[in-house]
Amino acid sequence: MAAFRWNDPSDAPADRELIDRTLSGDGNAYGVLVERYQRRIYRVAYAIVRDEAEADVVTQDTFVQAYTHLARFQGRSELETWLTRIAINRSRDALRRKKFVSLFIVYNDEEGEVMIEPVDDRPDPERQIMSLQLRVAIQRAERQLSSQQKVIFRLRHYENLSLEEIADHLGLRAGTVRAHLFRAIHKVRRELAAWRSQGGSNEAALQ
Amino acid sequence: MKQHYSEADLLDTYYTQPGESMPVMMHLAECSECASRYERLERKVRGLAACEHDKPETFWARQRLSIMRKVEDVRKPSIFVRSARYVAAAALVLILGGVVTRREPAKAPQVEQQPITIETHDSTDPWQSEELKDLQPVVAWESWVDDETKKNGDRS
Repeated sequence: MAAFRWNDPSDAPADRELIDRTLSGDGNAYGVLVERYQRRIYRVAYAIVRDEAEADVVTQDTFVQAYTHLARFQGRSELETWLTRIAINRSRDALRRKKFVSLFIVYNDEEGEVMIEPVDDRPDPERQIMSLQLRVAIQRAERQLSSQQKVIFRLRHYENLSLEEIADHLGLRAGTVRAHLFRAIHKVRRELAAWRSQGGSNEAALQ
Repeated sequence: MKQHYSEADLLDTYYTQPGESMPVMMHLAECSECASRYERLERKVRGLAACEHDKPETFWARQRLSIMRKVEDVRKPSIFVRSARYVAAAALVLILGGVVTRREPAKAPQVEQQPITIETHDSTDPWQSEELKDLQPVVAWESWVDDETKKNGDRS
């Protein structure tokens, strides 16, 4: 496959041009689009599914689905937005499948946690433990969320998308997104409170 | 006594978009203590959320290759699929052709035929005159006898 690189970004053909070339049978043009957006799509997919292999599959499926429906892309939104929407829908499907499979798996709450120490510019061991607890609280809270809440919370938490962007991607009103997000945060707070009652300190965790 | 926001409130503010939680943001603008706590919280949560996206270029190249292979499969369906399409198209043509040929042609609207009367009276025919019309059968019979006699005479 040819390497799709340009020295000057202004030399890079526009999305619309690449789409037109793809539709007229130029296979390489679509490769350029894939290279342009695959990182972004992978990041969104990973933010939702939280699994590298699954995010890879979702990314690939997103681009194949986009290719098959490329003729229907009207250009009313940016190609990136359109691709992101497809990726979010694919990720939601993956989450639902995962949820269905998890019905048949006995999950031990204490095990199976992959803990990576968060980056902290002040390597205080106690503070690192607190950060870890915050991470665990978020992970536990996420498990209690509905599929919709999970997607919204993760897009906000991991991808730092604005409420308007999330609403646009999911085809919801901003108020609905806010309500879902509020419920999700409420669960995170409950987890933090539960952890505090076990002897920790939220304040320390957040510092 | 100066009031401070709790870490839970600051967490809410962080997630539900800081710009829109005006009372909290106004407080943060005035209270340096809360502002620094909010800043630490923001850094902490972003740090927790950050995941490893700096994958080696080989990862992206492999992914791209895989995508393009799948796209190629979509673009150029296999020989089997193409053959199946041709067979299906041919079958459709045959079925449609059969339906068309079996279909009866529409009947033309029938026109009620009027009896055609031909005037047979010919004023120039002398046998139609009052004087000769009674003799016509006799003449016709004699003509017939004459022909038969001729035939018999030829045989003898």
